[in-house]
Amino acid sequence: MTVHGATAAATLFEIKQLGFTHIIAIPDSESAALCDAADSDPDLFYMSPCREGESVAIAAGLWTGGMKPLLIIQNTGLMEAGDAIRGCGIGPSIPLRMLVGWRGYAGAQARRLPQDSAYPFTEPILDAWGIPYAHLMSDDDLPALADMDALAASSSKPTAVISGWKFR
Amino acid sequence: MMQRMDAFRAVAEHRTNEIVITTMTATLQWPLVSDHDLDFDFLAFGMGHASDFGLGLALARPERKTVVFKGDGGLLMSLGSLVTLGEYAPGNLIVFLLENRSYEMVGGQSLAPRVDFMRLAEGAGIREGGATRTGKLEHIETAHQLSEALPRILTEEGPHFVVLPVSNSEPLPPVSHSDHAGRVASLRSSLAVS
Repeated sequence: MTVHGATAAATLFEIKQLGFTHIIAIPDSESAALCDAADSDPDLFYMSPCREGESVAIAAGLWTGGMKPLLIIQNTGLMEAGDAIRGCGIGPSIPLRMLVGWRGYAGAQARRLPQDSAYPFTEPILDAWGIPYAHLMSDDDLPALADMDALAASSSKPTAVISGWKFR
Repeated sequence: MMQRMDAFRAVAEHRTNEIVITTMTATLQWPLVSDHDLDFDFLAFGMGHASDFGLGLALARPERKTVVFKGDGGLLMSLGSLVTLGEYAPGNLIVFLLENRSYEMVGGQSLAPRVDFMRLAEGAGIREGGATRTGKLEHIETAHQLSEALPRILTEEGPHFVVLPVSNSEPLPPVSHSDHAGRVASLRSSLAVS
């Protein structure tokens, strides 16, 4: 039987291995377990602003000041934060690293109706903004975090890892 | 009420090694009084997010103050940022809210007339708030009062959120939207960030 979703512990281990200093998160149903784990980790500075656009700008300021932040947001927040991602990431070539919860993915895989409208727009929006992304569906996909981190560094542009299942 | 340029002149006179982030009309007039490696123009970076960017910078660079000039219209575009400041702003962040009651840069359209920025900031927990729980919330009415307060504001532990009622009768220089990546790279270089 396929086990869906990466584990919070293994994902957090990978995040720390990659040298992230700050976690800027708006918790959602997919990422709640990961956010809880990050919040209780003494090696990471965890903060939870009110809205995703704020988070993007805070992360941009942290990176400009020499830190390495990771954004954890839901796809709905990604959509809300479009102007901030444009203005604080794409335009000024700031390599935002985003871990995006893909609301609606699980329901779509189960063919539940009505389909969550957040589901079908996620990948097309990232494509439209020219943001490379990879899927994180289980612990087997954790190397995607390093891949997107390296691509952000080499391109100095935002990248994303999107997680279709709840972290376990 | 003070002339915005008088407020800028006062801050420029007292400023030493602080990062200064300007946004919207402030980006146009601040360069008239300052030419500093740590000046950062936030124009076109993200509507309403200058103080969020400043919060990130202040967290990253605790060894120096980060000063943000933010407009009241911009604040209304990201009002939740007040709550975030109330919870997380470090002691080295200073936000000057330029209160001109209008979206000046795009034509001077009025803001909601009953909005009270001091009460909003108070309700967001900024006074005795921020990460240090030593947050300062002030309303400064005149350029003279601002000049007298600046030596304290620029040195004491904050965070500070200072509402400055301003008007402007001086001509605005033309808008420039160029080389945003270069501006970020320049600031990182000035901060010795590789």
